[in-house]
Amino acid sequence: MKICALIRVVPDLVEGIEIEETEIIPFRFIPNERDEHAVEEALIFKKKCNGTVDIIGIVDEETRDDEAIEEALAMAFAKGADKLKKIVLARKTSNRMEIAKAIVDELKGYDVIMVGIQSIDSFAGYLGGILAVLLGARYIGGVVSVDFRDGDVIVEKEFGGGVFGEFKVKTPAVLGIVSAENPISFVPLTKLRQAMRSMEVEEIEVDVPEIGGVEVARFYEPEKPEIVMLEGDVEEIADKLIEVFKALSIV
Amino acid sequence: MGYVEELINRLKELTEEKYYQCLQCGTCGGSCTYGMYSPFTPRRIILAIRMGLIDEVLKSNAHWLCTSCQLCSSRCPSRIPITDGIIPALRELTLLEGNPPEELSMALMNIMRYGNPFKESPRRRADWTKELDFEVPVMMKKKKADVLFIPECFGAYHRRCKEATKALAKIMKLLEVDFAILGHEERCTGDHARLCGEFGLFEDLIEKNMKVFKKYEFNKIVTHDAHAFNALKNYYPAFGLNKPVLHHTQFLHENLEGLKEMFNKLDYTVVYHDSCYVGRKNGIYDEPREVIKSIPGIKFVEFKRNRENALCCGAGGGGIWLDSVIREFVKERPAEDRVKEAKLVGADVIVTGCILDIPMFEDALKVTGLEGEIIVKDIAELVLEAIEGGE
Repeated sequence: MKICALIRVVPDLVEGIEIEETEIIPFRFIPNERDEHAVEEALIFKKKCNGTVDIIGIVDEETRDDEAIEEALAMAFAKGADKLKKIVLARKTSNRMEIAKAIVDELKGYDVIMVGIQSIDSFAGYLGGILAVLLGARYIGGVVSVDFRDGDVIVEKEFGGGVFGEFKVKTPAVLGIVSAENPISFVPLTKLRQAMRSMEVEEIEVDVPEIGGVEVARFYEPEKPEIVMLEGDVEEIADKLIEVFKALSIV
Repeated sequence: MGYVEELINRLKELTEEKYYQCLQCGTCGGSCTYGMYSPFTPRRIILAIRMGLIDEVLKSNAHWLCTSCQLCSSRCPSRIPITDGIIPALRELTLLEGNPPEELSMALMNIMRYGNPFKESPRRRADWTKELDFEVPVMMKKKKADVLFIPECFGAYHRRCKEATKALAKIMKLLEVDFAILGHEERCTGDHARLCGEFGLFEDLIEKNMKVFKKYEFNKIVTHDAHAFNALKNYYPAFGLNKPVLHHTQFLHENLEGLKEMFNKLDYTVVYHDSCYVGRKNGIYDEPREVIKSIPGIKFVEFKRNRENALCCGAGGGGIWLDSVIREFVKERPAEDRVKEAKLVGADVIVTGCILDIPMFEDALKVTGLEGEIIVKDIAELVLEAIEGGE
């Protein structure tokens, strides 16, 4: 079984951008959390099906040498990934259709492709779905574990309200991973550094087709709701609450 | 190399082969904070290593129960470094296998990425200073100071622990001490990483902190974090730190004459908790007691288990992140036992010298129903209250 997992880097929301009098301190990148789970699940699945795992970083000129992608690939290597690649997008884009078309040729030949279902710049999780269509493969998202039984790929998918479903999936297949079945395994710093020194990463530069169709009109923070503290004794607060409920047409 | 050989080699290195000297006397197990709950007391761990049964120990998770309190090591007749050697070596094996307890794994990952276990922005490390009505000097601007004050991670970020940090900064200002902090250039000193077996991370943190220390001129370091104190005093010198390191109990004691002039009367019955890395590990017992006793009006009482025999709060060696592991074994956490002991001796204030004690004891007070009867204060908070409040 030939498996691959995609990993992207995203801005680290812990740090944020800071604007000071004399300089703008930019945010830094971190590996996309859902993709880290996809990598973890791919490595777990590798053991189950006795397969091989390639980890493919999706980067652009800004992020191709960023320590976040280096760290993510080294982590995967330390945990048992077989091959490491970086696909370098010639043009930065957040349009998933453009990304999928740019990278699809490099994903041909894999039986199972795992990708995180979300990133901070995309909650729709449609990169996996588009890739599946372009590859002529099956797609299933919301995956929380992947098993290998009697030669079949069996995935567990999470639905809302704590309901799970089990699906038999024909290969080639693209799996959108919500979380790996085990917590992300830990790599001590010495092991990570050894991996960084010994890993070899193949870099593949790809053109990004202009598809357009989706343009960013604006990014904005939604207006913060007004918070009113109701004060007074119990009866006064109850009266004020009734007024609030009436205004909202609740009562 | 096999699993057992790997551990044996690591143990030889970390314990200077002293673990061979174990008499199997059982003093360690009888002393252990979790001895009555653990499937493998230190004595049984050493026996299991000798018999090649390391897998049994690792599977049991007993090595994660250790609070690094040093009671076993301090009482061991063969002076085997159980806490600083055997336990971290076992933990390192689990880390190398990639499956430490999840909460600990997250804390260590955060320390690796952000320099603190809370996943807080390193740039916000000095935000606590904004809550003061004076400017706390930062080395990046000041370049040199007599005292370099290290708040460490809990002291810089933890909502409750920050109060102790602010109190100590205020005291330094009142004493007109020439001090400064590193601000966002400071990162975790790494003692918990070491005790958890993450030696690579510990050394990485030392190297990064030392690089910052070398940029500035200072005469001594003061910290109110007992683990930072331990790491800076006992491990950083091997990496080039050649300045005296003072725990804040020592710093307050050094300045006691000046403080006494400012003290007002406080009407408290105070018990002092000897934190493991202030007392047992580093031998500081008298200084905090003398500071507390010098505050007028205070009635000082002792825990039944005090000084070398003090009970651990349970937070050390990563214990503060291992609640779910510990809960599988333990019905009552040591901090709960400790606050009940404080009630037994009639204290209404527990004074601590380790920043981790504060959340541990305050949580224990809630669990035991003693909230409202007993309060917890860092010694800096008590001293500041004697200066600013009281009668």
